[in-house]
Amino acid sequence: MQENFAAASEAVPAETVAVEGSVKPKKARKPINQQKLQDNLWGWVFCIPLIVGTIWFVYIAFIMALLLSFTAYNSIKGDIWETLFHLGDNIHPDGAFYWYKYAFTYEIGGDFKMNEMGAYLFNTVFYMIGIPIGMILAVFFAVCMSRDIKGGNVFRVLYYFPCVASTVSIVYTFKLMFSTTGVMNQLLGLDGFQWLDLTGNTTLTWNQLAGTSTPGAFMNDPFWCQGFFSKLVIIIMSVWKGLGGTIILYIAGLSGVNAATKEAAEIDGANGWQIFWKVTMPDLYPTIFYNIVTAVIGGMQIYMEPVLLVGERSSTSGYVSLIWGYGVNQSKVSQGAAYGMILAIMIFVLTMFQFWLDSRKSD
Amino acid sequence: MNNNAENIKTAPEEEKQYSAFRYALGAILAFFGFSSKTHRASKKRAKMVGDIATYIILLFGSFLMVYPFWWMIAGSFANTHTGGSTGDILRRMVWWPSFSMLDEGSNGGLFRNYDVLLNTAFTRVVTGYSFWRALINNLIYSIVPVVVGVITSASAAFAFAKIEWVGRNAVFYFLLAAIMVPGPSIMTTQYVMYNDLGWRDNGLVLIIPGLFGSIMTAFFIRQFLFGLPTSIIEAAKIDGAGYFRIFVGFILPLAMPAIMAQGLLSFMGCWNNYMGSFIMIPRSSLWINLPHALALLENVDTYAQDYAVIIAGSVLCVLPVMILFACFQKLIIGSLMLTGSKE
Repeated sequence: MQENFAAASEAVPAETVAVEGSVKPKKARKPINQQKLQDNLWGWVFCIPLIVGTIWFVYIAFIMALLLSFTAYNSIKGDIWETLFHLGDNIHPDGAFYWYKYAFTYEIGGDFKMNEMGAYLFNTVFYMIGIPIGMILAVFFAVCMSRDIKGGNVFRVLYYFPCVASTVSIVYTFKLMFSTTGVMNQLLGLDGFQWLDLTGNTTLTWNQLAGTSTPGAFMNDPFWCQGFFSKLVIIIMSVWKGLGGTIILYIAGLSGVNAATKEAAEIDGANGWQIFWKVTMPDLYPTIFYNIVTAVIGGMQIYMEPVLLVGERSSTSGYVSLIWGYGVNQSKVSQGAAYGMILAIMIFVLTMFQFWLDSRKSD
Repeated sequence: MNNNAENIKTAPEEEKQYSAFRYALGAILAFFGFSSKTHRASKKRAKMVGDIATYIILLFGSFLMVYPFWWMIAGSFANTHTGGSTGDILRRMVWWPSFSMLDEGSNGGLFRNYDVLLNTAFTRVVTGYSFWRALINNLIYSIVPVVVGVITSASAAFAFAKIEWVGRNAVFYFLLAAIMVPGPSIMTTQYVMYNDLGWRDNGLVLIIPGLFGSIMTAFFIRQFLFGLPTSIIEAAKIDGAGYFRIFVGFILPLAMPAIMAQGLLSFMGCWNNYMGSFIMIPRSSLWINLPHALALLENVDTYAQDYAVIIAGSVLCVLPVMILFACFQKLIIGSLMLTGSKE
């Protein structure tokens, strides 16, 4: 039915054109074009699985999450449809935006209180330090690999290995490599330095690190100082794991750099450094932009690495831990959904902001 | 030496005189391929030195990339179960464990850790569970959704790239918008939904959503199909083939490189899908996948002590995808490069 209708509506413009073109005032209705019918029919048929899957697992889930975030629904096994279909009766008793307000006001911490969502967000943003580091390293290695050397492909494969490895395996290896007597400490000569155990019972304060005795400063509150080095380990690990994929994208970008411009610059007497910054970088810009956008979107969703390495902690876990912790683990589905909506909005705003910066640059 | 003599000749002669030291420094720099005021380095030499430097940097980088894998393999042969002070072996290991299965006094043979892992370890995670079960689960989770999903994605890609139909652009943007919804933000409702459908305990949660195809895969194959000449399809149409025939007979074989690459990438993603299993499948289920089982194994007291077994498990978890990637590296990297150059 839909296809027929679609075919008919497609035919309308052609008909009006025909009417305008000819002098005939009245035109017999054309039979439905068999080929167009086929096109429309099969176009939809081929797309139906993907459309159904997207609507079902993304859009419906998203709308459910949006609606649930205004309710007090807090059971995994309850009748969720009942709640959703009578949404008016099931709004959270303390106001529709209760969970949002809660997210922005609930505080945790020792002597120095901090907003809970802010603490988790701080961790997430802290892990993003790895993005520029990874970018610079990737560009550097990509430039090295795209030189005209033998065996460049072998390097590509070697550097891509960490990307295909399972995070769980990698985390367990890094856990031991960064243990108190592990490879890293032996290399750096830091015997017994606790990269990962600066949580729980062991406290680390700024005073201990710097050997000073200023009391009462924010950096001396153990609650906020714990986990700093665990975070560094996570950054090292994610840079190491993600490097290969980024390098390959940059190699692709570098191969698209205009060779003629490069040669012209060389003839004009530019040295390698100038060529890189003035010729290669502008051409590489789209790749860099794409990489940063995807890296930020992925970085906002960091979850597994901190949890596997040091467990669920407010001092190391990423923002997604809140969604999982409240929404699934504590069965407060509505609260988890509210946190999820905040995440979606944040990612959307961040991405739009980056595109805005991009559009400003191209002007 | 010969090269140097040449260089000296090319240096401008009636320029101001340099000190002997400055001159010697220039000569040395020229030998290593750097031009200075006194000496001009030959292009060939500069390239050679640059190549050597590049090799050193890249080899150092590859060492950093490969070392943790070597560590994993070496660690899987450590002996951490004989008791005494063996618990520290893995924590101190750099190249090879100080007390490995090869050493005198370790019982169980070289592959003892693998032996334990394959035969007994996983029953402690879930009763009735074994490594082979984990492997079969992982294979099911990564073959069934990927094969079916890639075909459904390819069919959608075909419709977007080669068929003119009403609403094509609207549907395309409708799907494109779905990418902007981050996975974790709809995690809770998906959890409730799958729970309602009863897909959590039997592992269907990791299979059924994948069958519908993935938007990113569809977009990639669509890009690939744009590169194929439409005249093939026109010719097939004139010869009387329907769209289904065209899809099965022409598009699938012609787009096979793209389909294979995307399939392999999603295979590796599904194989390593710890988060999906961790969040959706209850830990007491027999349908947890291999990474999830490994993570649970770390919590079992016996194996938190005997850590080499867990490292052996890590090796076995990484190995299949590594081999797969090594076999198809050209295809996969080529496809990734295509993604990079398209965007």
